[in-house]
Amino acid sequence: MSRKLTVEETDAFGRELEALREEVRRDLGQRDVAHMRAVIRVTRQAEAGGRLLLSFGLGPVSFAAGVLALSTSKILENMEIGHNVMHGQYDWTRDPELDSRDYDWDIVCAASDWRHSHNFEHHTFTNVLGKDRDVGYGFLRVTPEQPWNVTHLVQPASAAVLALFFQWGVAMHDLRIDETLRGTQPVRVLVQRSRPFARKAAKQLAKDYALYPALALWNAPRVFAGNLLANGVRNLWTFGIIFCGHFPEGVQMYREEETQDESRGAWYLRQLHGSANIEGGRTFHVMSGHLSHQIEHHLFPDIPAARYPEMAPRVREICERYGQAYNTGSFRRQLGSVVTRLFANALPGRREREVAQAA
Amino acid sequence: MTAAQTIARTIGRRLTRGRQIDFWMREIDPAWSLSTLRARVVDVLAETHDVSTFVLAPNGLWPGYRAGQFVSVEVEVDGVRMQRCYSLSSAPGDEHVTITVKRVPGGRVSSWMHDHVRRGDVLRLGMPAGEFVVPAPALPGKLLLLSGGSGVTPVMSILRDLSRRDAARDVVFVHAARSKRDLVFERELGELATNHPGLRVAFFLEDELRDRARGGRLDSAKLRAAVPDLEERETMLCGPAGMMDALSPMWTEAGIPHRLKTERFAAAPRVEVPAGAAPSKVKLALVRSGRTVTTERSETLLEQLERAGERPANGCRMGICNTCLCRKRTGVVENVVTGELSSEPDEDIRLCVSRARTDIELTL
Repeated sequence: MSRKLTVEETDAFGRELEALREEVRRDLGQRDVAHMRAVIRVTRQAEAGGRLLLSFGLGPVSFAAGVLALSTSKILENMEIGHNVMHGQYDWTRDPELDSRDYDWDIVCAASDWRHSHNFEHHTFTNVLGKDRDVGYGFLRVTPEQPWNVTHLVQPASAAVLALFFQWGVAMHDLRIDETLRGTQPVRVLVQRSRPFARKAAKQLAKDYALYPALALWNAPRVFAGNLLANGVRNLWTFGIIFCGHFPEGVQMYREEETQDESRGAWYLRQLHGSANIEGGRTFHVMSGHLSHQIEHHLFPDIPAARYPEMAPRVREICERYGQAYNTGSFRRQLGSVVTRLFANALPGRREREVAQAA
Repeated sequence: MTAAQTIARTIGRRLTRGRQIDFWMREIDPAWSLSTLRARVVDVLAETHDVSTFVLAPNGLWPGYRAGQFVSVEVEVDGVRMQRCYSLSSAPGDEHVTITVKRVPGGRVSSWMHDHVRRGDVLRLGMPAGEFVVPAPALPGKLLLLSGGSGVTPVMSILRDLSRRDAARDVVFVHAARSKRDLVFERELGELATNHPGLRVAFFLEDELRDRARGGRLDSAKLRAAVPDLEERETMLCGPAGMMDALSPMWTEAGIPHRLKTERFAAAPRVEVPAGAAPSKVKLALVRSGRTVTTERSETLLEQLERAGERPANGCRMGICNTCLCRKRTGVVENVVTGELSSEPDEDIRLCVSRARTDIELTL
């Protein structure tokens, strides 16, 4: 449990984190660019290798290898490159290939939509119920503080479907279909919002399910299946990493009125308590786009993510001094905790049951 | 246009502009590209103690150039891309393209080039540009090439071009340098003068104080003494601002300003930032809308722009979401959260956490 900090302590806590951020920012240089270029190189090589194996390989072994290589490439591209570049973490390099406004990633989600829903809404209003639409993505109940409804009964199944088609969930997130269903967003606005998504989705579908299969001639079905699997593997992986970032046990949710006139220090506290880390090795961290350091990412969203592992012990030390919990655990533990919560919150809580009985 | 043409054109554009293609071409050879003008450094030649010539072999996108033009050169200084313009010192038709760079004290790009750029490296270039060229069709009968310090580079390019075309019929080449050890191209100029009877070369050395005619700072009297028929000559002048300001009036006073063509090197951006608190009044020039906003308060740019009735895109208003990212053309802004200063031209800044320290130009 975390100690309640006074206003002065909260400000001091924020200042210490800002000093750390500034120290790392000043140190940014060639090695950060070198890391990103190395990741881009591996990603491109894995993609080329995977697509060649799928297109011109023979037999199930080369098929599996092709899927593995293409999945790896898609995961790296989405997580370590796309997510981090689009956060503006590499804008200081002034390299047009690492420009947040120009980068478009290899998933069906349009870059412009994501920059709004993720960089602005999610990172500003992290875990504020009713403001951060990433909490349960509008249809999952991940905390007892969210009101229960009958659709939550099947949420273990709906979460599994979301996991398999996660890129579509991310892509359609900013369309606010749920609001149109509830009647708070006119259909006209929904159609307007859907345009960038529709364009991007058409492009992605054409690429993975028409162009590349066609290039493989007689091997078209094999390429089609391989691309479908690679997208699926990437979906499962990103779903796992991202759900472990905000929904394991111990992560706090906030009500909007709690965050009114929030100071910068309090914003840092909310980022800390609204996020959870996953422990692992260097490869695991890179494959997660360093979202295994979700806490550091939320504290320092525009610092190159590859710096989070070296910042984490310092953040942890600051948290210890201020008596603040730092939520971290193995991938298995955090994922287990998320799954448990999805099951537990499928059923109405005591509050809802009492309301139901009283009625 | 038929559907087939549209598809062919789209594929063509993807091939030439696509990052994928560019990546694989670069993997084979770092200078190769279908979209970016890049050049391999073939050699680095030390000219003087602080001037070096970089001999470049540009890739196939190089369009050619005219003697006296410049290119922008992009290097990566500790991970950050930076550009500076340098005059080409070679002449069209030479085997390679050269730029001759003086190490500017405190200059980040020139220092980086001297310390880090080596044979085999690859630099990104802009397209050659500039009006400091000898009119191509009618070569002037009598020419004065006048330069000071590193201003010798475009003038040297012009002289080499004339020599190559055997057109240096009546040329006076006057160059002012700080001292003998600062003389760039001294030997080559001597050889050119030997080979071309129509070329006369004169050096002025600032530290040779005993030599009344050719020592001390070059002024109009000394120049007139060295080039008595100055008024009859087409003149190309490139040098430090002080020298150009001192000499240019000679042509206006003689009523022949059209005989003088000048090239001014923009100094590396070193903006004087007023110390202490933000100034009370700054001008924000909005390049796209053409508006100029004068603001009195030391608020963030976003607040000031909104007060002035602008509606720039914005999100978190605390410097994390990047929605208000905007390219700053010139000027200095301060990040109100970190105190970090942005003074390089063409940097991206976040309006919501930036405060102007000088007049600035924004691409809004």
